[in-house]
Amino acid sequence: MVVSAPTTTEIVAQHLAGKRVPIGSIVFRAALLMALLTSLLILVTLLTSITAGAVPTFQERGLDFITSPLSLDPATAGVWSGIVGSAGIAALVTVIAFPLGIGTAVYLEEYASRGRLTNLLRTNVRNLASVPSIVYGLLGLAIFVRVVNLIGLSGTSSGRNILAAGVTMAVLVLPIVIITTSEALRAVPQTIREAGFGVGATKWEVIRHQVIPSAAPGILTGAVLAIARAFGETAPLLVIGVATGFFAAAADATFVERVTGSYTALPVVILSWSKQNDVQFADTLAPAAIVVLLAMLLTANAAAIIIRNRFDRNQQ
Amino acid sequence: MISRLSKPLIFVLALALVAAACSTSSNSPTTTSPPASTAPASSDSNALTGSVLISGSSTVEPISALNAEKFNTTNPNVSIAVEGPGTGDGFKKFCAGETDISDASRRIKDSEAEACSQAGISYIELEIAIDGISVLTGLENDVKCLAFVDLYALLGSESTGFSSWSDANDLAAQLGSTVAPYADVPLAVTAPGEESGTYDTFISLALKPVAKTRDTEKATRPDYVASPNDNVIIQGLSSSPTSLGWVGYAFFVENQDKVKAIEIDGGDGCVFPTTETIASGTYPLARSLYLYINTQKAAEKPAVAAYVDFYLSEEGLRSVAEAAYIPLASYEATIAAWDQR
Repeated sequence: MVVSAPTTTEIVAQHLAGKRVPIGSIVFRAALLMALLTSLLILVTLLTSITAGAVPTFQERGLDFITSPLSLDPATAGVWSGIVGSAGIAALVTVIAFPLGIGTAVYLEEYASRGRLTNLLRTNVRNLASVPSIVYGLLGLAIFVRVVNLIGLSGTSSGRNILAAGVTMAVLVLPIVIITTSEALRAVPQTIREAGFGVGATKWEVIRHQVIPSAAPGILTGAVLAIARAFGETAPLLVIGVATGFFAAAADATFVERVTGSYTALPVVILSWSKQNDVQFADTLAPAAIVVLLAMLLTANAAAIIIRNRFDRNQQ
Repeated sequence: MISRLSKPLIFVLALALVAAACSTSSNSPTTTSPPASTAPASSDSNALTGSVLISGSSTVEPISALNAEKFNTTNPNVSIAVEGPGTGDGFKKFCAGETDISDASRRIKDSEAEACSQAGISYIELEIAIDGISVLTGLENDVKCLAFVDLYALLGSESTGFSSWSDANDLAAQLGSTVAPYADVPLAVTAPGEESGTYDTFISLALKPVAKTRDTEKATRPDYVASPNDNVIIQGLSSSPTSLGWVGYAFFVENQDKVKAIEIDGGDGCVFPTTETIASGTYPLARSLYLYINTQKAAEKPAVAAYVDFYLSEEGLRSVAEAAYIPLASYEATIAAWDQR
C-alpha cells in the first residue's frame, strides 16, 4: 500500500484545526531549554558557592581586603599585590597585543593578496590560538626572560618580572586579537569600501575612516576576550616564575625597580591561597579574591561595551 | 582632527597606563632613594635595602614566606619574593645563580650539586624543620595501624588494580603482614602526584625498603587520584570512609575533624604522628626540611644575610611551628653552620 505524502495544504489545514501535535518540535524545544537550564544551573551553583564564601570576608574586612598586601595571616591578608600585578600585565597586553594584532589583521584582510601564503598564515594563526597556555609559558621562560636579562631590565628578579610576564601574555592573546579582528573586518560590507573608492578616497582613507570604525564593535569584543584571558591565565606565570608564597616590593622602590622586580598576580594569589594548610584561606579568602578578579573582568568588559556603544551611535 | 577610532583607543591606553602607574606607586610612603644595590650594610635595620629571592620546595614555602613577611615589617625597604615550584625546580634556578636561597624538602642530589659547582656556586645547607608524612583514612575506618609491608601491599606498584582492601590480602600475607586480612571495603586512594616532594619522600621512606626486597619498581601504584593541592587530597580522603592516602603532617593537623591518621609501624611498634613522636624521630615517616643559601650572595647582599639571621632568630624559628611543622630538638648545629660561613 502506498501512502502518499500529505500536501502542504493538508498540513496547514490540520494545524489550523489543532488536530496535529508537532511532537518533534516540542521535544526539540524542551531539549534546548534543558541545555539552557543546565548551563545556568552550573553557573548559578558556582557563583553562589563563591559568593557564600566571599561574603564573610568582605563583611569583616571591607575595603581593607582590597588594599592590604599579601600575608600568611588570614586576618590581615589582602589582594593588593595581586591586583597590581594583574593590572600591570593587562596594561602591557593592551599596549603590545592590540596594536600588533589589529595591525596584522588589517594587513591580512585588506592588503594581502588572497594566495596560498595568506591562507597558510591564517591557518597558522588559528592553530596558535589553540596552543595550550603552558607552552607560551615555556616560550616566555626561554625567550622573554632571557631578553629581559640581556637588555638589562632584570632588576632584582633575575628577569622573572612583570615585563617578561606581560610580553608573554601579549603573545598568548595575539592570535585571539588577530582572529576576532579579521572576522570583524570581513563582516564589513564590500559596498562600504566601494562607496569610499567611488568618491575618490585612497585605500588608507577608506580603511581608516570607513572599514575600521564599522568593524570596531567586533574588534572590541576581541579585545575584551583577550584581556579576560590575560587576567585569568595562571599556568604561564607559574612557568615564567611568579612569587606564590610571599611578595613585597621595597617600600621606597622606584617605578623602574617595581616594574623590573618580582611580582605576583591575582589568579596566582587565588591558587596559592587554595593550597594553604590554614583552611580559612581556601574557604573564605580565595572566594573573595575570585570575586575581586570577576569584578576586574566586569570592569574591563563594561569599559569595552561603553566604547562600543559610542561607535554604534557614531555609525548611525 | 582626532578621528572616531583614535579617541577610544587613546582612552583605553590612558586607562591602562593610569592603572599601571597607580598600582606601582602604591604603598610607598617615601619619595626618592638611592638605588638599592649601592646601599651599604648598616647597623640600623631600617636602612637595609636590596632584595632577597627565594624559590624551591612548596612544602618549605609557608615557613619561608612567613619569615619573609615578618622580616618585611621590620625591613620595609628590602624587596622580597618567595615562590614554591618544587625542590627540583628550585635547585635548577639556584644553581643557575638566579635565586639567593633555595628551600628544599630533601638533601641536594649529586647531580644538582654537580650543576652548582660547575656554575661556580657554593652554598651552605641549613636544616630548619622536620615534616612528618601522615597516612590518612576516613574517620569511620577501623584500621588503626599499618606497617611498611601493609603500605606496600595497598599502595605499592604491585597493588595496581586493587579496588578493595581485601584485594591486597594475598600480597600482604606473602609479605608477612600482621594486620591483614583486611576487610572487604572499597579502597579509594587520594594522594600527592609525582611532582611533589611528599610523593618522593613517601616512596623512599615507606615503599622503597619493601620494593627492594621484592625487586619491583620503586613507585606507587599509578591508578589513584593525584592532586598537587593538599586541600583537595583531604577532601578526597574525607569523602570515602575507607579511603587511604598521605599528606604532610601540617595538613592532617588542620583537618582532624575530617580525616583520621593511621599509626605507622616502622619495625619498632605502632607510632601515631604527633609533634613529639616526629621531633624525637620515633615516627618512621618523617623528613628534614632544608634551606640552601648561596654563600657569595650572602656575602655580597646584606639583605640576604640579614634574612637568614632573622630566620635563625627566636622569632624566625617560631614560624616553623606557626606553619604547623615541627622544630628541631636543637638548632645549635644549624646556627653553627651558618655562623661558620
